[in-house]
Amino acid sequence: MDLAERRGLETEVYQPAEDSHVLASVCGERLEDGMVVLEVGTGSGYVAERIETETGATVVGADLNPHACEQARERGVEVIRGDLHEPFGDGVFDAVVFNPPYLPVDPEATRDDWMEVALSGGDTGREVIEAFLTGVGRVLAPDGVVLLLVSSLTGVEEVVEFAGEYGFSAAARADESFPFETLTVLELWQ
Amino acid sequence: MNESLLEILRCPLDKAELTLEDAEYDGDEIVSGTLVCTECGERYPIEDGIPNLLPPDMREGTPA
Repeated sequence: MDLAERRGLETEVYQPAEDSHVLASVCGERLEDGMVVLEVGTGSGYVAERIETETGATVVGADLNPHACEQARERGVEVIRGDLHEPFGDGVFDAVVFNPPYLPVDPEATRDDWMEVALSGGDTGREVIEAFLTGVGRVLAPDGVVLLLVSSLTGVEEVVEFAGEYGFSAAARADESFPFETLTVLELWQ
Repeated sequence: MNESLLEILRCPLDKAELTLEDAEYDGDEIVSGTLVCTECGERYPIEDGIPNLLPPDMREGTPA
């Protein structure tokens, strides 16, 4: 069973699943009206749309995938095609939200399509998360927070440790168990 | 995209500010145009309301 079969038949844009719901619920609790929020890897735009409607925050979505950008825009999300937080100014976001590609994958079994990009975190599952954490502090406002979804398949302790090396403290805001994994939403702050 | 986004968007290469050229509007929305880096001069297209702020070397080489 490959990654696309595990996650359904859509091959171009990751559609909302358990991880999206868990992250959106925490965002609804932690984010507020008046905040400026970046959702990295917005995909279908589902989480960004829920943040806007449930909190009143202003949300900008970013995604590498042009098909995702189109879907998010059709949902009414303001969307930028870009890589992680790279195309944004210093200190502009009160919160950055990310449901990353986090599945550890065997390099020999990888597919060459957008769903692979949406799911694969490299052989550790943490490659994209680590690239994200390396630079996200730059775009955060002084009291800004990161809400990051992490799976037990990816290794929550390893992610917390890596974030610590970049000056972040961490707390778990949700833990939910599913048949193949436990999903945790980490709140990170500097 | 809304023009107010210009305040938070930067060139992905050098983080310099961007200026808007050749903008076409639909109401308050910019539907097409070009964002130009004030530092390095790199040009980033806006198509169908979506600015493409990928660095030039990432615009190709991604799956179709």
